[in-house]
Amino acid sequence: MIIRRRTLLAATAAAAVASPALAQNYPRRAVQLIVAFPPGGSTDVGARILAAAAEKDLGQPITVVNKGGAGGQIGFTEVARARPDGYTLGFLNLPAVNTIILDPERKAAFNVDSFIPVINQVLDPGLIWVKGDSPYKTLADLTEAARKAPGKISACTTGILSDDHLAILMVQEAAKCEFRIVHFDGGAQQISGVLGGHVDCAFDNVGGVFKRVQSGEVRGLAVTDSERSKFLPNVPCTKELGMPTVISSSTRGVGAPKGTPADVVKVIETAFLKAIKSPEMLQKMDAVGLALKPMVGAEYAKYYADTQAQAKKYTEWALKQR
Amino acid sequence: MEALGHLLQGFAAALTPGYLLYAFAGCMLGTLIGVLPGLGPAAGTAILIPLTFSLDATGAIIMLCAIYYGAMYGGTITSVLINVPGEAASVVTCIDGHQMAKQGRAGSALGIAAIGSFVGGTLATVALVAVAMPLASLALKFGPAEFFALMVAGLCLVVGLAGNNMLAALLMTVIGLLFAMIGVDPVRGAPRFTFGIEELYDGVGFVPVVMGLFGVAELLLAAEKRQTHMVEAELKSWMPTGAECRQSVGAIGRGTVVGFVLGLIPGVGAIVPTFMAYVLEKRVSKTPERFGKGAIEGVASAETANNAYANASMVPLLALGIPSSPTIAVLMGAFIVNGITPGPFLFKEQPQLVWTVIASFFVGNALLLILNLPLVGLWAKLLKIPFSYMCAGVLIFCVIGAYGLKQSLFDVWVMLGFGIVGYLLRKLDFPIAPAILALILGPMMERSLRTTLEISGGSFAIFLDRPVALGLLAVPVIVIAFLLFKPRSLAPLRESDIE
Repeated sequence: MIIRRRTLLAATAAAAVASPALAQNYPRRAVQLIVAFPPGGSTDVGARILAAAAEKDLGQPITVVNKGGAGGQIGFTEVARARPDGYTLGFLNLPAVNTIILDPERKAAFNVDSFIPVINQVLDPGLIWVKGDSPYKTLADLTEAARKAPGKISACTTGILSDDHLAILMVQEAAKCEFRIVHFDGGAQQISGVLGGHVDCAFDNVGGVFKRVQSGEVRGLAVTDSERSKFLPNVPCTKELGMPTVISSSTRGVGAPKGTPADVVKVIETAFLKAIKSPEMLQKMDAVGLALKPMVGAEYAKYYADTQAQAKKYTEWALKQR
Repeated sequence: MEALGHLLQGFAAALTPGYLLYAFAGCMLGTLIGVLPGLGPAAGTAILIPLTFSLDATGAIIMLCAIYYGAMYGGTITSVLINVPGEAASVVTCIDGHQMAKQGRAGSALGIAAIGSFVGGTLATVALVAVAMPLASLALKFGPAEFFALMVAGLCLVVGLAGNNMLAALLMTVIGLLFAMIGVDPVRGAPRFTFGIEELYDGVGFVPVVMGLFGVAELLLAAEKRQTHMVEAELKSWMPTGAECRQSVGAIGRGTVVGFVLGLIPGVGAIVPTFMAYVLEKRVSKTPERFGKGAIEGVASAETANNAYANASMVPLLALGIPSSPTIAVLMGAFIVNGITPGPFLFKEQPQLVWTVIASFFVGNALLLILNLPLVGLWAKLLKIPFSYMCAGVLIFCVIGAYGLKQSLFDVWVMLGFGIVGYLLRKLDFPIAPAILALILGPMMERSLRTTLEISGGSFAIFLDRPVALGLLAVPVIVIAFLLFKPRSLAPLRESDIE
């Protein structure tokens, strides 16, 4: 809550200084949406679907600009530094934003207060998966093996301090086992790594692999959520498997740089909310396996703060192991 | 046989006027993207994705694929004419292609590139149809350890074959590797050698560096010589001569094989096959001293490998759903946006679509040849423009290209800075290609080595356990030992160098 109050204060203060007429005729030109990951990935696909839908309601084109690299740091920095006039928005990936801030080695040029969380679009829960013909049939098989031979079973992430990395740490804590953690660069490398037999299991998100699970090419062991995913109704969730502390996901939404006037934020929120709630959005997102989770205002701000708190504990762990 | 039936149905669909038009438009747009430096295939395809939204899924995919290999060809044109590689895979083409242009043989270079691209692309697609599924699964055995070994072998071969300039080539490789270290640590995430400059977090941009080292340096050299034209020789040829074609046959064949095999392995990227094919060609040539001075085999091998790679890299995408390069990742994103998820299930779920797209690869490759051969003369004529105009034009072209890549002015300064570095290196007769290869391979090498060690728990013994990796690591050792102990038998090689 503290964060929300602070951002609100900052926003109102800036609004008072900035031209008060800004919101009345906002937007007058095209709006840039910075995506901190390269084109083609789940984040980019979701952002492009959203941008195409929301520009109708906003009345101006929304251009997606990919500024990938350094696990999102390049793009997030750009958003934080952009002029807070509503014409540059950013796609915020949580907890990627949080862990970059929390890792002192990253020397991030932004902090939690650099962004106003405007509206969330996607909540893509984590998925623990193995090869289709793997001997591990359940999550218990996997954690049992990792407990008997600590540090021998390899588990791969999509990058250091990604939500997948945190999920491995959560499973290790809950099941009292130890994996050999291998950091890959994105989901495509995980697939070649696991299918090629180079690593034993992978931690990714539902959206990236659900088609492969459906076809039987890979086996989903658990969704790291408190309920099952609608895309994988046969894969149990960690809560029902007795690991209620293993809750990890990647959420993606729209943020604005600190200081963007509150009334402009409201215009953006309204346009994007309408787009996210449209039936076409649901249909398109279902096709790519991304679950919608609209959150605005105080709810999204609280989620942002909670993610920061949860990420803090596991990031500190990860840093100790480094 | 079942595959053949499907393919014939695919052809029937791909040859309908609508799809033919999409393939044609894609080839045109792609060539344009390839010509514009900075706007590489990945960025170009991403920008054009919305264009395909109004088409049906098959049409959209046909058009995007055509854009992709059109771009892979287009980069050749600027490489040959003005020594500016339009995209990464054309770097090698600059080495001999621009020399050919300087001798008045721009037409031959562009012609053989078009022919080689066609042959390489078509043969790779034939192989794709025949062996896609089994080979794709086999390629997965190629893990991080093998990947690292392949990169080391590639770098060592380039240095080892540098002839009498071996020390200079080694030095340039190390400098390239040092520059490759700039940016965020691929595993820990900590910034290195960035001096607090945010633009350097993602490393030194490869495209601005290459445009500087090749293009801007070339302009500086030409300006210093007070040239009246970019290329002073009379235009001697519009088309490759019979003799030139005969010289290139072997190179095209070998380039196809190298491009296809490396295209199967996810993550190799387009530039490695072109370098490998070039080095191989120089190695088997009876007259390796001609390389770097306008050898048509050099252009033929690199350009063939480039397009064979482009088509072969569709194998891991279609058969496994694994994008093997940034451009393919964009294509995959476009597939997904159009409601198609590539992967093994795709062949089962939507055979009609897959085979139509594969048939369109053949059609696209043929269209590209038809489109480009008549234009070769027109392109070559550009060289007749007086240097004063050409120089300004090329410089504007390079600045826009460097800026357009990431909309960053920083990249423009990087390009100009490396232009001066490139000029000095050329004056001092240092080879540039090894530095560029090292700059590209450096990050991949580092990441694969570190991933390998994460998998093995820090033990280097993993390289001994894996025969393919061990074999690949043995190649440079053998080559270097051979060079050290039998220098006389390789005398002709020492005359020349990779540049």
